Order: sequence, then C-alpha cells, then structure tokens
Amino acid sequence: MNKAIIVDRLTKNFDVSERQPGIKGSISSIFSPVKRKIKALNGVSFSVQPGELVGFIGPNGAGKTTTLKILSGLLFPSSGFVSVLDFDPWEKSHDFLKQISLVMGQKNQLWWDLPVIESFELNKAIYGISDRDYQKNLDELVSLLDVSKFLKTQVRKLSLGQRMKMELIAALIYKPKVLFLDEPTIGLDLVAQQNLRDFIYEYNQKNEATILLTSHNMNDLVDLARRVIVIDEGKIIFDGILEELTEKFAKEKIIKATLSSEDDIKKLDQIGFVKKYSFPEVTISVPRQTVAMAASELLQNFPVTDLTIEEVPIEDVIRKVFKGGLK
Amino acid sequence: MKKFLSIFRISFQQEFAYKLNFVMWRIRNVMQILVFFFLWNAVFENRTGDLLGYNKEKILTYAFMLLVIRAITLSSRSVDVSGQISRGELSNFLVKPVNFFKYWITRDLSSKFLNIIFSLLEITLLLIFLKPNLFFQTSFLYVVFFIISIIVAIIIFFAISMIISFIPFWFPEIAWGSQFLFIVVVTEFLSGSFFPLDVLPMGVYKILKITPFPYLVFVPIKIYLGNLNYQEILVSLGIGTIWCFILLIIMKRIWLKGLKVYEAVGR
Repeated sequence: MNKAIIVDRLTKNFDVSERQPGIKGSISSIFSPVKRKIKALNGVSFSVQPGELVGFIGPNGAGKTTTLKILSGLLFPSSGFVSVLDFDPWEKSHDFLKQISLVMGQKNQLWWDLPVIESFELNKAIYGISDRDYQKNLDELVSLLDVSKFLKTQVRKLSLGQRMKMELIAALIYKPKVLFLDEPTIGLDLVAQQNLRDFIYEYNQKNEATILLTSHNMNDLVDLARRVIVIDEGKIIFDGILEELTEKFAKEKIIKATLSSEDDIKKLDQIGFVKKYSFPEVTISVPRQTVAMAASELLQNFPVTDLTIEEVPIEDVIRKVFKGGLK
Repeated sequence: MKKFLSIFRISFQQEFAYKLNFVMWRIRNVMQILVFFFLWNAVFENRTGDLLGYNKEKILTYAFMLLVIRAITLSSRSVDVSGQISRGELSNFLVKPVNFFKYWITRDLSSKFLNIIFSLLEITLLLIFLKPNLFFQTSFLYVVFFIISIIVAIIIFFAISMIISFIPFWFPEIAWGSQFLFIVVVTEFLSGSFFPLDVLPMGVYKILKITPFPYLVFVPIKIYLGNLNYQEILVSLGIGTIWCFILLIIMKRIWLKGLKVYEAVGR
C-alpha cells in the first residue's frame, strides 16, 4: 500500500428541491416540485500517505463533509475514483469499516437512554476488540478526556461537552487506522480542546494513523496540520504545506516599523493601509508586489529606527479561507 | 455471534427505558383481545354448534392465540428505521462493521422476547378471570407446522416493515411515524388480527390468500387450531415461503437503491 487515501476526479451532485416559504409555497411544491442540481464536489483529486495528518479547510458548504462522507462509504460518488486503505469505501466491507472511524461533531451513536458504558461495550462486541485491548484503550481515553466519573451516567443526562468526549471515546475505542474528524473540538471547553488536540497528535504519531481533519477552530489546524487542503465550491484550490498557504493567498505583506518621532498618520496612510499605530510602533499592510518600494519610501521619508517585513499571520489567511474570500 | 448477543442485550435494556410506551402497547393488545373475546362470546351466547366453521371453544382460543401471535410476529423495533433514515442517523450504522438487517432482526427478536413474556403473563391472568374453555393442540406434527408458520410470519412482517421504512430514502420530509402506524393497522386488519379471515365472503378470502398478509396471523392460528388438513397446510406454508423470498428480494433491492440516494443529512 503506497497511499492511504486516493481520490481522483471525484464529483458528487445533489438534487435539492426548493420551496417557497409559507403555506402557498408548501402546496405548490407538492404539485410542481422545483429541483435544482447542486454540484457539491466538482472534480476533486488528492492523495494522502499513510500516517499523514491533513487539515481540510474551506467555507461552509464547500464540500468538506461531503468528501469525508464519501471516503467513509456513506455517500455514493456521482463519478470519479475513491480508495481508502485499498478498499472501495462504498462496498462497506467489514475489514474496511473496522479500520476507519468517522467522527462528526454533531452525530451521536451513543444510546441516549442508557449509561454511557453500555454503548462502549456494544462497540467492543461489534468491532471484536479483545478484553485486554478494550480495557487498555478505554482507560487511556477516559483518563485523557477526564470523564471517568461519568461512565455510568445516562447519556441524556450528560452535558454537551461531556457527551462529545464520550462520542470520541466510542469512535476511537477500536483504534482505527484512518480517522475522519469533522469538527472534533466543537462544543468542548478550551482545556478539553487542548487535551483533544494533544491526543490527536499523539494518536497520529503513536499509531501512524492517517487523519483527515476538518475544523473551523484555528488552533486545531495550526497545531496539528502540516499539510492543508483548501476546498471551495466543490473544487480544491490549494493543497500543500500550511505555511505556503500564506504565500499563495495573502496578497499583502506586513511592514512593521519603529519611529523615532511621532508622525502624521495620514502621511503614513499613503504608503499603505495602516493597520495599527501606537507610537513608536506602526504596522502597515501593503500589496505583495510593491513591498520593497513601500519599505524604501518609508525609510526615506520617515524617522525609522527599525523595520521588518513579515508575512500576514497564518490565522488571518485561514480566516479568509473560512469566509470563502480566496479568488 | 457475540456481536448479536450484545445487540440483543442492549436492545432489551433500551425497551425498559420507555416503560410507558411499552405498557401502553401491551394494554392496546389486551384491549383488542378483550373486545374480540366478548364479541364472539356474545355471538355464541344462545347458540350451539358451529358458526362459519368455528365453535365457541375454537373462536375463543383464536382470541387467546392472537395475543401470543401478535407478540411474536407483529411486535418489532424496526419501526425506528424510517425516522433514522429521514434524520440521517442511519449514518451511524453504515460506518459500523455490522450487517444492517441482522442488526434489526436481532433488535426485533429482543423486542419480541420481551413481548412474549408479557403476553404469557397476560394470558395467565385472563385465563384466571375469564375461565374460558380453550382448545389445546395435541398433535406433535401440527405443533411443528405451527412453529414453521410462525417463522414464516416473522420473516414476512420483517420484510414488509423494512420495505415501508425505506420510503424516507426518497421522501424524507414525510412524518413517517403516523403513516407507518396506518400501514401497520391495515396490515393487522388483513392479517386476521381483528377477525378470522374465513368469515369473509369466499371471493374476498380467496384473493386475500394469495397476498402475504394472512400468513402473518391468520394461517398460524388456523394451523394451531387444526382447521387445515395436511394438503392445505403444505399449500399455505408454500405460498408463505414464496412470499418470504419475494419480499426479502424486494427489500434488499430497495435497500441498495436507497443507499445510493441517501444523503446522510443532519449536518
């Protein structure tokens, strides 16, 4: 096996029926349903090496979750080729399903009315985990996420955060080789988020697990993903190292200068967009192409004692990605 | 096998979580039997001999058999499937290494098990209070045929309820809970849960016999009562078995088609 995941020219179309609001709309939709075809994925290709941890980002509705659902065999692709661990996910072979896990922030597989531990025991049986492995994995996960107190609590009585942690335990108790994590830290408090990130990192390292992660949590991506795939309107618009994202998408660079005497902000504004000015520090954003010119202009016309040119912070770029403002 | 024992166990526990639902369902069953019992009891009040091929003893046995047969064939957990499809919760199963149909058969069996226990308790109570004369089948062969007919009934009901449950693949927005109930009531009506089907006009009865419905309730009870001869039994079991295969094949095909249009909504 060379690649853990191969996706080639994948497309997925949905038929969406539209309806006008109100009673009139409801009635007319019965007699003349308006169907519209939506291209959720439009020729997506990428591959992932075993043991790689890849961040999958893009604005809402870009096709991230659709991709994860196809990779885990839930959705049937409209066209294209998909292979995960050399399996066709759609076949849903049990050997395949035992090695993957799909964790969706808002899905629940736990038995609502029963103590949490019952759901874990059921997964133990379904995934055929030995007693020893089960106990070991359970202890590890429970102590890591700090939920040992709640194992015998009815699921319905857990808080959202506690339940999310339990969902994770249920999804990881059989040590899957490939993880599809869709917004795994949603609903968790900051400490738990950090714990979980540490855990995902460690899980990836220790088990050489392949992980595909979508998140709107900046820290998830910056901490975990070396490589990111950016998807927008069903197409991949970037696939590479996280840092390169900046070079590709940040149209500006940042000049930070220290001034020896106070100057008029209006004059500074002619150099570029003044993002921040609190004497003696000034931060100016200028177009990438003209950064050298802007810097020399600044040095000539202002009492500059120190000057650095920096890339736009990665967080700002990612924020832009989430907004879908990359074209 | 261990897998399915675990599913059986957790499903059994789950039944207890909805105690009130369960009690209401049992009360409904008992009420139906009481209505049936008192109606026919009244019919036979001033009559000796047979009516429509039934004597008093056998028609009252029919009533009591209904309670058990309904617990065995018509009680199921797979009513939940339609809702899970329309809410997208089906995804939870599809990513697990467990056969969908075996999973639900197991959950159905656990539901049936609980229902059988309760129906036997109820029957004991009813026997004590109503003191009816009942008919007991003593022929070993007839009991064997009866058991086979029950298995046929379980399979037919499972396939029918699954096929109905798959409709939300195409029409997820319909509230299938109520529709489902309606279909179950129609099924019960045609299966002989409200009256023995052979009291119907001969033409109607003959048409009904080529549908799968009588094989759910009516035929098993008839076999138990010894009202059918060997040839009739074999024909009945034959038609029932053919329906099993037809319905299972339809069920499997619709399932595979449904999965292709499944959108795994919910996010």
